[in-house]
Amino acid sequence: MMNDDKKIIRILEVCGTHTQAIVKSGIRYILPNYVKLLSGPGCPVCVTSESYIDMAMDLLSNEEVILATFGDMLKVKGTFYSLFEKKTKENVVILYSPEDAIVLAQKNPEKKVVFLAVGFETTAPIIATTIKNVQENGPDNLFFLSALKRMEPILRFILEDDRNKINGLICPGHVASVLGSDAFRFITEDFHLPAVVCGFEAEDIKKGVHLLLDQIDGKSPVSFANLYERCVRTTGNKLAKDYMEEVFYIEDGYWRGIGKVPNSALGLDKKYQNLDAKYKFGVKEKIIPKPSACQCGEIILGLKTPYECKQFAVSCTPENPLGPCMISSEGACSAHYKYGKVVF
Amino acid sequence: MTNKITLHHGDGGVKTNALINEVFLKYYGANMDVSLSDAFIFDVKTSKLAYTTDSFVVQPLFFRGGDIGKLAVCGTLNDLATAGAKPYYLSASFMIEEGFDIDVLCKIAQSMGDVCKENGVKIVTGDTKVVEKGSVDGLFINTSGIGVVAESFAPSKIEPEDEIIITGTIAEHGTAILLDRYDLEIETNITSDCCALSHLITDLDKVLPYIKLMKDPTRGGVATVLNEIATNVGYNVELIENRIPMNPQIKAINDILGIDPFYLACEGRMILVVKNGFGKRVLQKLRKLRGYENAQSIGRFTNDYQKTVYLKTSIGGKRVMPSLEGQMVPRIC
Repeated sequence: MMNDDKKIIRILEVCGTHTQAIVKSGIRYILPNYVKLLSGPGCPVCVTSESYIDMAMDLLSNEEVILATFGDMLKVKGTFYSLFEKKTKENVVILYSPEDAIVLAQKNPEKKVVFLAVGFETTAPIIATTIKNVQENGPDNLFFLSALKRMEPILRFILEDDRNKINGLICPGHVASVLGSDAFRFITEDFHLPAVVCGFEAEDIKKGVHLLLDQIDGKSPVSFANLYERCVRTTGNKLAKDYMEEVFYIEDGYWRGIGKVPNSALGLDKKYQNLDAKYKFGVKEKIIPKPSACQCGEIILGLKTPYECKQFAVSCTPENPLGPCMISSEGACSAHYKYGKVVF
Repeated sequence: MTNKITLHHGDGGVKTNALINEVFLKYYGANMDVSLSDAFIFDVKTSKLAYTTDSFVVQPLFFRGGDIGKLAVCGTLNDLATAGAKPYYLSASFMIEEGFDIDVLCKIAQSMGDVCKENGVKIVTGDTKVVEKGSVDGLFINTSGIGVVAESFAPSKIEPEDEIIITGTIAEHGTAILLDRYDLEIETNITSDCCALSHLITDLDKVLPYIKLMKDPTRGGVATVLNEIATNVGYNVELIENRIPMNPQIKAINDILGIDPFYLACEGRMILVVKNGFGKRVLQKLRKLRGYENAQSIGRFTNDYQKTVYLKTSIGGKRVMPSLEGQMVPRIC
């Protein structure tokens, strides 16, 4: 491994599915060892704040409530507990699609079902259509607790930090399929960094990395490219964007291990307040200051490796994660914890 | 007999006897010892016996390709097979939740009887307990089994370059359970691979001496079981991704769910460790058996001592496959 920091090339990928594909395909092994692929805050579950989980936990103490959630939310810790530790067979139900929450609510008319709405602009449109559908057609016992996040503000937040050492970006293909590839042009235009939208097969990612490396090495001019044209149009999916616009409004978001990021979240618009679990049950997000021990922010910025974080493998482990890098099964810290230095 | 289990069915009295006669004896049929003594007595004429036990708590009780009864018998038969043993006698104990449907119990007992019949093995002792509603999730079964060892495998003799063979496509039981447990409306003909593998001890006959270890990749799947083996023998394992047999539907479903099929249980497959140079012969023999056409040599032990399992990926990459930690749940991302 090269020790000269200047020669290390850091490429950030900001989609959980890319992170998975990179780890599963063993792509790091075939890249030169001075190329580091960093996993950004692209797993919506991992960046869910402690205060959001605490709110879900508050709801759980209401015997009328059934929480409906994506499976991987169970492992995420609030200030004290994860849903996994507190759930019973009846009060937390794992769903694969938000639309299944409608069926769950219909099957349990005496209960109040709360769907834990997490995700980026990929899941947001389908949650929006579900909310609109519920508003128009019922059932009247289904509510939504939103922790939906937006991709552009967090990317800007990272790139605007002058300390960041990122040399290029792999843009999230799924978000791009909704928002359009143009939604990521700002990376090249505003920050003069090479950026590429690519798909999720190993070959897609390999191609994307090579394209970025050519630009970083100066072999070709810095530019923005969409290599995922089979799914991503420049302007995206108008219908999906319209639904989001209709149902949500933009608010400040809280990111685990990072803190408050302006305009980075989607809340339920006033028109849909009657379906907003925060209003219905009067639960409030109690913002806890960013835990000072967690250094995920620095790791995501490429300023630190997991080994340089004092909490790594000491107070922060996959069983008891402090921040997103350890929560995601393939986040930088979790991956280093599990696989050691053998492959990376 | 009423059609629901009550606490009286487990009190040892008239109702318990009725349950034994009308459910277990009936469906185990000729496969059941009928003396009803509290213990079964048998002669031992052999030098080496294998003895194993396992408990089954699967949900749902009925899944595509099997049920908890089939699983409970196959699981114990397969554990005996990993010891190179032909099965002789089984025990079966039931812990039943009050209110359980007796017709459903009959179906489960019947599938146990069927597997016993197919494999020439008898359930010779058992027990039934009924517990209050909410104390168990429907039904738990424990089975144990005794078999006669036909071939003593020698995992301590495993060395670098020994070959690793899997007897069929992977991850089918785990995927079938996931599909049913999460009620996923995916159109597929995937079923659990749940089946008894006892016959391998007879059918592999002449090549058995080349096999150093048999292990069924149940809980934690192929990846976790190979990690256990690597840890025990002290060498690394190198797997070749392209060679690992997997139904394309299994790959697609798990891709959608965000679950790694290498960690999903098989209930009708064996991993064989074969002496270097004899893999081909074992494979040829295996593939002639019905249901083993997809048997494949998937990797080897290497001369490295980190006790780590590596996967050589289809794009020429390489990654570590650690043991399963925690429960796998469908991911959003």
